[in-house]
Amino acid sequence: MASSDAAAGTATAGDPGAGRLFIRQTSGLVRELGIPAAIGISLASVAVVNTFINFNAGLTDFAKADMYLPLVAAAIIWLVAMYAYRHLLRAVPRAGGEYVYLSRIVSPVVGSMAGLGIAVVFTYVLSTNAHFAAQFTPFMLSGLGSAFHSTAIANAGNHLGSNLSIAWLSVIVMLIVAALSLFSVKIVARIIFWLIVLQVVAFVALIGVLAFHSHADFVTVLGKYSNHPGAYNAIIAGGKANGVVFGTAIASAVAIIPFMVLNYNGVLYSYYVGGELRRPGRTYLIASAVSIGVLVVLWVGVWAILRARAGLTFMQAQANLSVINPTAYGKITSLSSVAGGLGYGMILSPDPITKILFATAVPFAEIAVNLAFLTVTTRVLFAQAFDRLLPVSVAKIGERNHAPNVAIGIVVVVGIGFCFLTSLVALGNIVALQSLFFALILLAGGVAAWLLPLRRADLVDTSGMPESARTGFLRKIAWIGGATTVLALFTVFELVTHPKVYGKFSWESILTLVIVLGAGPVIYVIARSVRRQRDSLDLAMAMHELPPE
Amino acid sequence: MLKSFRKPKKKRALRIFFATDVHGSDVCFRKFLAAAKVYEADVLLLGGDFAGKGLVPVLRNDDGSLRAELDGKEVTVPTEGWAQLAADINRRGFYATQLHSGELAELRGDPGALDRLFRSEIAAQAERWCQLAAERLDPAVRCIITPGNDDPVDADPVYAADKRVEFPSGTVCDLGPVAMASLGVVPYTPWHTERECSEEDLAKEISSLVDSVPGGRTCIMNFHCPPYGTGLDDAPELDATLKPVIRGGRPSIVPVGSHAVRDAIKKYQPPVSLHGHIHESRGVQRLGRTLCVNPGSDYSSGVLRGAVVDIAEDGTCLDFLLTTG
Repeated sequence: MASSDAAAGTATAGDPGAGRLFIRQTSGLVRELGIPAAIGISLASVAVVNTFINFNAGLTDFAKADMYLPLVAAAIIWLVAMYAYRHLLRAVPRAGGEYVYLSRIVSPVVGSMAGLGIAVVFTYVLSTNAHFAAQFTPFMLSGLGSAFHSTAIANAGNHLGSNLSIAWLSVIVMLIVAALSLFSVKIVARIIFWLIVLQVVAFVALIGVLAFHSHADFVTVLGKYSNHPGAYNAIIAGGKANGVVFGTAIASAVAIIPFMVLNYNGVLYSYYVGGELRRPGRTYLIASAVSIGVLVVLWVGVWAILRARAGLTFMQAQANLSVINPTAYGKITSLSSVAGGLGYGMILSPDPITKILFATAVPFAEIAVNLAFLTVTTRVLFAQAFDRLLPVSVAKIGERNHAPNVAIGIVVVVGIGFCFLTSLVALGNIVALQSLFFALILLAGGVAAWLLPLRRADLVDTSGMPESARTGFLRKIAWIGGATTVLALFTVFELVTHPKVYGKFSWESILTLVIVLGAGPVIYVIARSVRRQRDSLDLAMAMHELPPE
Repeated sequence: MLKSFRKPKKKRALRIFFATDVHGSDVCFRKFLAAAKVYEADVLLLGGDFAGKGLVPVLRNDDGSLRAELDGKEVTVPTEGWAQLAADINRRGFYATQLHSGELAELRGDPGALDRLFRSEIAAQAERWCQLAAERLDPAVRCIITPGNDDPVDADPVYAADKRVEFPSGTVCDLGPVAMASLGVVPYTPWHTERECSEEDLAKEISSLVDSVPGGRTCIMNFHCPPYGTGLDDAPELDATLKPVIRGGRPSIVPVGSHAVRDAIKKYQPPVSLHGHIHESRGVQRLGRTLCVNPGSDYSSGVLRGAVVDIAEDGTCLDFLLTTG
């Protein structure tokens, strides 16, 4: 609005039109993010190629699995949640997400529960992402070997399957992420950008490769790749012989919805930079809607083309046979079943460049996501340090790189610890409820939106509305928050009622969840009482609502 | 027995509530005044950029109703709704001014007239705020306001002449256990605002200001610009058209603070330095022994961000807390 070449301190008029705003030439006016930037943030927070991992998990864990309904239903859940977060964002337009919403609308204790819980779980997610990348190393080497016609490279992957190898590979991934994070934020952002570009290019190339080949082509190349002309039919027959049930069932599709809800996780993340968005509610809403739309089209499209080229029966047989009877599967083909569509693309791909793209897509995607998660996690630690729940030194900025070295160090060290535990110890029971935690975060957002008009109607901007319209508007927010809460509860219900898939309830897993959720409030209560006794400063003051009158 | 090994507990001699960059928001200023009671502060300190950024023309229709645009939506209210409409506009940190359509057209074609209108609105608001401070504050609480780079000099005489509000711009004032040096000037910005200078000139100004503090007296700093590269000065990188540079789907963030302020903090090592200017870089950092604070700003949503800082009798910093209210 303001003209950039205006003289010092002068004022300029906005666009012509009755009653439009006049803007004074002051610093900071253009520090506002528009819709394109917000879309970028949303899409960058979702690991697009991870959908193949979730497709494979759905096919493996549920009989008669199909992805159309889960992909669309999960998108609808996020669409409803999108409206709930829009109202939260308009009421509390600043960074911090659920930690800030809950502490302002519900109570500082509940906010601290979300804050520390997110920091701990995100650190664990860093290690699981590194673990994913490590598990994909054999597939990557196999792809690179195929691209460079090198059996040495292809076979190297066979020596990297032990738990110890996976643990060390995970640590290497974490160290790569840590080293990259020590660059300035500007350089890190560039690295993330190019890794995401690679990921999207791989995805588009995959769609292209699948589109330009027929089902018969796929059957033929699978036979050639496997040195087994009848590999396609042998996998289906093997699946049938091992009890795999083919076809589709609504119950399975419904049960897979939580996988896909997790698949879209991150698509609303532009609310984390709410304080920098121009017209926060509107910008966030459009950016999120566009991002959800893009992902639905891409993922439903790729699923449709995978069904057409490989066939649902084959995908169900392959995913399950490799788990139920890996020896039988290994005798037919060496194609990684976990890679799913990427694997199909790799064997169909006619040139080394696309082979390299498909082979490296997942490791690069995990590094990009880890870089982004590390930034988010350190931001959450920052917020806790500023609120005096953690030592201030946690938020110390390095003089040379202007990066939060202490926070990065804490996250990386804990993350490396998790890497070893994930690979070498039966950590499954302890972290079994990780998916439940993410659903609980969504639930927290829904509850915060539901309680917003009930507990803190003063935060809702109803200026220019007559009383009746104001009441209706507040009621609408409560309904949207309530709907998000119900949908999040449905996701929680599905997670809880399928413990074999989404995480068993054992004393270890429940205790871990209780510790993760309870650590924040306990630290808050202790820090508050210690500080009150020692320095007469009450931490609750940090979240007081000041009366303007 | 154990007690004898413990350091004697220092007593709080001064509590400062510091807020900054309220940019014309009446709601934030009212909250700022209320903070004295809520946080039990001895000194309220508003650290610059008190002036609003926008002005919303409210058209007087022939039928007596008032029409304005709020967040892209046209709002029409009867004449008696003026106070509420003005309050709604001011909640966003904008000034509301009633105009006829002819006056509006005239204003559009005359940047000089628009500039004068802005300056008079800012000065008028300064008068209202001084009056409000006199009405609402306990006489024992000191209210100090210092300017920032976005504040036109026209408001200075208003604050300087007021008896309730103190305006130690570019000077050192006594706060009891410590003295406080205040400076609203910042290094050159892309917007060419009123109080800007080169890093060299800023360094000279800081030196002459801090060197004027009597020897042995502890002095805290109230400099609008944060020190360079501390995380208190991270702002989006801008291109030639003042648009944020997007890298990797995110705004590219770069440090934009002052090297002169950083050098001064390292040289003089005050117990506390208070800053603003960069709204999105709320935080606390240590430079040597100095606690550097930027409480950030969220004025457009009517939220007052601040910092409570406790000072001991010997002038050391006891504790701090960032607040959001």
